[in-house]
Amino acid sequence: MSALLVVRDVVRSFGGVRAVDAASFEVERGSITSLIGPNGAGKSTLFNVVSGFLRAEAGTVTFEGKRIDRLPPHRIAQAGLVRTFQTARALARMSVLDNLLLAAPRQPGERLLRNVVGSRVTRRREQEVLARAHELLALVRLDRHADELGAALSGGQRKLLDFARVLMTEPRLVRLDEPMAGVNPVLRGELLEHVVSLREQHGVTALLVEHDLEVVMGVSDRVVVMSNGAVIASGPPDGVRNDARVVDAYLGVEG
Amino acid sequence: MSVLTSGEFWAFVGVVAGIYTILTLGLQIEFGYAGLLNFGHVAFMAIGSYTMAILVVKSGWSMWLAAPAAVLASSAAGIVLGLATLRLRADYFAIVTIALSEIVRYVATNEERLTGGSQGTINLAGAEEASDYNGQWQRFQDWFQGTLHLGSKDVAMLVLVWAVALALTVLVALSIRTPWGRVLRAIREDEDAARSLGKNVFAYKLQALALGSALAGVAGLFYAWQFSFFSPADFAPLLTFFAWMILILGGVGRAWAVPVGALVFGVVFAGTRFFEFAPFTWFDSAERAYLRLMIIGLVLIGLILFRPQGLLGKREELVLE
Repeated sequence: MSALLVVRDVVRSFGGVRAVDAASFEVERGSITSLIGPNGAGKSTLFNVVSGFLRAEAGTVTFEGKRIDRLPPHRIAQAGLVRTFQTARALARMSVLDNLLLAAPRQPGERLLRNVVGSRVTRRREQEVLARAHELLALVRLDRHADELGAALSGGQRKLLDFARVLMTEPRLVRLDEPMAGVNPVLRGELLEHVVSLREQHGVTALLVEHDLEVVMGVSDRVVVMSNGAVIASGPPDGVRNDARVVDAYLGVEG
Repeated sequence: MSVLTSGEFWAFVGVVAGIYTILTLGLQIEFGYAGLLNFGHVAFMAIGSYTMAILVVKSGWSMWLAAPAAVLASSAAGIVLGLATLRLRADYFAIVTIALSEIVRYVATNEERLTGGSQGTINLAGAEEASDYNGQWQRFQDWFQGTLHLGSKDVAMLVLVWAVALALTVLVALSIRTPWGRVLRAIREDEDAARSLGKNVFAYKLQALALGSALAGVAGLFYAWQFSFFSPADFAPLLTFFAWMILILGGVGRAWAVPVGALVFGVVFAGTRFFEFAPFTWFDSAERAYLRLMIIGLVLIGLILFRPQGLLGKREELVLE
């Protein structure tokens, strides 16, 4: 099967409001898929369900053929579905380098006793992780800031750090929550290149939640459109752009 | 004035500062590293003291077995607290911990058959005979003093407490530099971010509580050894807040800040005890006791004003965002 992530009939409500109402979509392996829709369409809720931060009331989420909709967020992340947040979460009182080191998977040193027993293996992995972190810092051009505190970074730099940190986790599917929100035009180009390079250079599948249609139409292989908690259309950007329901629900409103 | 120049007195101040150091190291792990607001830390110290004394007096255990068992009991109590409450939001967790420390104290006061009740450990074996859990430790302390040719028993205790306190400080300082410590600090900064990077936040918080509580248990042991007697009144919430003062005074998030903070706190606290010269002699002793607390408060406020990050803290970490 080629679908990496399958979301099937997911329902999630808050009080009496069905924020997500039987939404289904798929993310193909190696694709960039975007989830769009007007404010309140249920994108973020669906996104949080897929990340395990919210539990679905009904429906299933399957990743690489395995059900993940009952797993806690950290297990989902360990399985290779890693998310970013709308406002980049730089860990303020940790160095930029530590922000990256933290994200690496399979660190024996994360068990306290493994720093004493079998510390050779632990140290070797720490060296690998350190080397990879420096590589990624260079990639997003934050290498000069490695020893600064996360709090010292600008908003744009935090986005870049967030991006590098996600790559550090060796993800299979990256879920980017509004990566372009609040980013200046110069950095936008840079971030966009990074998003495209996810697939081209890192072999990572990407799922975007994004408001900026120009970005969405430019980079996506597939676009999934939500309105009122349901998926109303999905397909290649051009097809979706001309879909009458989409124009009604979304494009028509925003121009 | 003479007492201020007595070595015995300062040895005593040093011992108490050492015990505070061990107690506060636990808070440093829980709050300084993992961000857990524990306002009931003294409960785990009480569990350590009582478990040791009860096992020695009632079950006839060797003190050398009872002591590690007591530390394990404190740690287990921390885990039980964590399992029940760590899913609460930070502020609610803090409230539960205050309640827990009072529950432990009230149980110790009222479960007379188990703890000796409000009369304390002298009543552990019942009213007929005065019970003592400390013989083995006293003998060890004598032996230690004799072997090292130390001047007095107080000095022997001082050396013992600080040897343990400094060893533990080194361990805590080392642990925070491991990948394990990195995860704890990440949780303090942003739980959801840590979770989304694949870290099991709950498990790490539980570990922080287990270790912090174990350290409080060790402090409880030394408290029991030093005084040879204790009662529930010794574990009032005030002690938890002394530990918090030391933590803030020294610097949050830095292991070495704990012994430094404890020493400063100990000296300020003890040094103000003997204001027996003018102008303090203008007041009677009861008034002087209050005056002393006011002066301690002012000194602490002054320190916080000039070094809000604590004596060893980094200012840039405080003035963020």
